Amino acid sequence: MECITKTEAGFSIITLTGEIDLYCSADARKEILQQLETRQSVVVDLSQVGYIDSSGIASLVEGLQLAKKNNLDFSLAAVSDAALQVIKLARLDKVFTIHPTVKDAVSN
Amino acid sequence: MVAVTQLERIKPTDLPAPPQAALQIIRACAREEVTSHEISDIAETNPALTAELLRVANSPLYGISREVTSISNAVAVLGLRALRNLVLCISIHDAINKEAIPDFDAEVFWEDSLRRALIARQLAVLVKQDVDESFTAGLLQDFGLLILFYLHPEQTTQWQRLRVLSPSERLQQEQEIFSVTHTEIGQKLTEFWELPESLGEAIGGHHAHIYTNSEQNPLSAILQAADWISHIFTSNHPSQALKDASAKTSQAIGIDEQKIKALCASLPELVTEAAISLGLKVEQQVEFEQVMRDANVRLAEENSSYQELTWNLEKTLRERDALAAALNNELELAREIQASLLPPDNNDIPVHGINVSAKELSGDFYDFFKLDDGRVMFNLGDVSGKGMHAALLMAKTSSLFRCLGKKNHSPAELLKTINHEICETSIRGMFVTMVAGIYNPQDGQITLVNAGNPPPVLFNPKASEKKIKLLAADTPPLGIVLGMCYEEVSFNLQQGHLYIYSDGITEGYAPNDTELGVMGLVSLIASLDKAPVQKRLDTIIQHLSESSKGQRDDMTLLIIE
Repeated sequence: MECITKTEAGFSIITLTGEIDLYCSADARKEILQQLETRQSVVVDLSQVGYIDSSGIASLVEGLQLAKKNNLDFSLAAVSDAALQVIKLARLDKVFTIHPTVKDAVSN
Repeated sequence: MVAVTQLERIKPTDLPAPPQAALQIIRACAREEVTSHEISDIAETNPALTAELLRVANSPLYGISREVTSISNAVAVLGLRALRNLVLCISIHDAINKEAIPDFDAEVFWEDSLRRALIARQLAVLVKQDVDESFTAGLLQDFGLLILFYLHPEQTTQWQRLRVLSPSERLQQEQEIFSVTHTEIGQKLTEFWELPESLGEAIGGHHAHIYTNSEQNPLSAILQAADWISHIFTSNHPSQALKDASAKTSQAIGIDEQKIKALCASLPELVTEAAISLGLKVEQQVEFEQVMRDANVRLAEENSSYQELTWNLEKTLRERDALAAALNNELELAREIQASLLPPDNNDIPVHGINVSAKELSGDFYDFFKLDDGRVMFNLGDVSGKGMHAALLMAKTSSLFRCLGKKNHSPAELLKTINHEICETSIRGMFVTMVAGIYNPQDGQITLVNAGNPPPVLFNPKASEKKIKLLAADTPPLGIVLGMCYEEVSFNLQQGHLYIYSDGITEGYAPNDTELGVMGLVSLIASLDKAPVQKRLDTIIQHLSESSKGQRDDMTLLIIE
C-alpha cells in the first residue's frame, strides 16, 4: 500500500493505493488521524485501491468519527469498484459521504 | 582527501638532501680503487660530518676496542662499505631533522626506523647476509614515508593512525592518502642521490609480493621480515602481530617463531644503545615480555567483555523465551475461552456452524440457543480486523447477544441495544457486522436483521421459482452510528436451507486462486444440495483451504435448516 497526501483548497487529499489489509491499514490510519489532528478536513481518494478489508474500513470509520468530533469534513472520493463493493455490501454508503471525484469532494 | 603525488614530477631540488660531502663519500666508496686519503680529504670539507663520523665509529654500535682517531683510520678499521653506510645514516637523519616537517614527531619515526634496522641486522646474522648493509637498508626502508609527509605536511595527522597498522595495511593506506607509496619514493631517492642500486632495489621491493624468499632478493626479504617483526612493538594487537610476523618471516627467510621471540627480547636494549650511539632520541623501550603481557591482559579483558556480552545475550534470550511461553499460555487460554463462546453441536437445534480463524484468535463468532417456547435465537458476527483486539470485541458482542437475547426476542430491538453498547465503548473505528434472527423450527418461520454483513443465501431447491434468494444488509454494522434502527425481514424456510457467513468465506480464495465471491458460494451450495449438513460445512471450508494463496480472513459459516 502507498499513502500520499497533498493539500488542495484547504483539504488534505489522502490517496491510498494498492491493497489495504491488516498489515498496512495502521499506516493509513496514522496518516488520516494525523491530518485530522491538524484541524484539516480530509478527502480520501480510493480510486487506486484494489482491495480493502475490515481493518482498512475501520481506519476510515475512525477518521469519520474523529472528524465529527472536531467538526471537520471527512469524505471518500473516486472510490474504486473493489472498495465500493465492500462499502455497499456493508451498507457503509449510508455512513460515509462519497463523491464521484476528488474535485467534487473539494468543491462541495 | 587524497594528496596526489606525481612521482615523475618530483625533482631532487624539491627534496631535502644530505650534505654534498656525504654524497661524495658515498659515491667514492663505491669505487674499488678509492684510497682512505681520498675519503679523508672529502670528509675534511665538512668538519661537523667528520666529528659525527668519528663519534659514532667509536660508539658501542661498532664495538671497536681501539680508538678511531681519523677518517683514514675509520676506513682501515671499519672498511669502505661500513663507512659508507655510516655516512648515509648520519647524513640522511640530519637532512630531515625535527624541524623539517612541522607538527610531525620525527623522533618516533626514527625510533621505529632504528628498530627495523636493528631487526634487519639481527636477521642478517641469522641468515648469513651482509650485517652492515642490512642495518642501513633497514634504517632507510621507510624513509620514503618521511618524504611523503615532507611533501604533504597537511597529512602528518595521519601518522599516528598509520604507525599502528600492519605493513600491508599501511602500504594500502598510503596509496589511498598519497596516491604513491614510500617504497616508490624511497627507490626514487636512492636514484637521485646515486646510492648503490642494490639498496634502491631492496627499499623499492621490500613490500613486493614477488620477494617471498631470500633466494630472489635476500636484502628485500630481510627488510620485509624486519617490517613485520617491528610491527609487534607498534601494533594495538601484539599477539596477532607476532603470529603474522612469524608467518611472514618463516616464508621470507625461514626463521621460526622461537627465534623471533628471542630477537624481540633482545631488541629494547639494542634500540636504546644504538640510539645513544647514533645520537637519536628514543622513548623508554618497553620489554618484549611486557608487550606480550599487556597484550594478554587486553585480550583477557576483551574476552571477558565478550563473555559478559554472551551471558547477557543468553539471559535476554531466556527471558524472551519465557515471555513467549507465557504469552503462548495466555493465548491458549484465550483460545479456549473463545471456543467456549461458540455453542456445542446440539441435535435438538437445526442450526449448525463452523469457525476457522486466520490467526490464533478469531474476530468471527456465531451462536444459537433454544428459547423456552421452542424457537431458536441465532446470530453470526464479524468484528473488523483480526487477532487479539478483534477477539476481545467478539467476546463482548457475543456475550451481549446471548445475555440480552434470552429476554429480548426481537432481533431488531436486540441489535439496537447491542449497537448502543458497542458505540459507547468502541475504539479505533472498530465495528461488528452481524446477522441475528429468530427461527421457529415448528413452522419454518425466520425473522432476521442484517447489519452490514454479506447477504445470507436462502436456498430452496424445491421452490418452483427463485430457488436462491440473497438477503442483503439494509443497515451498516454495529458500533458506527449511535441510535441506529434496524429493520427485520421475515420469511419461511419452506424446507430450504439458510446459509449465513462472514466475508472471509466470499473473499476467500477458491482452489484456482480466484476470490470465491457470493456467486461462487451460491454455486457451491447448489452443488452440495443433497449432502448431509456437516459434509456441506466441511466441503465449503475445504474448498477455501486449497488455494496456494492461503487463508485470507477468519471464516465462519452457519446453516439453518
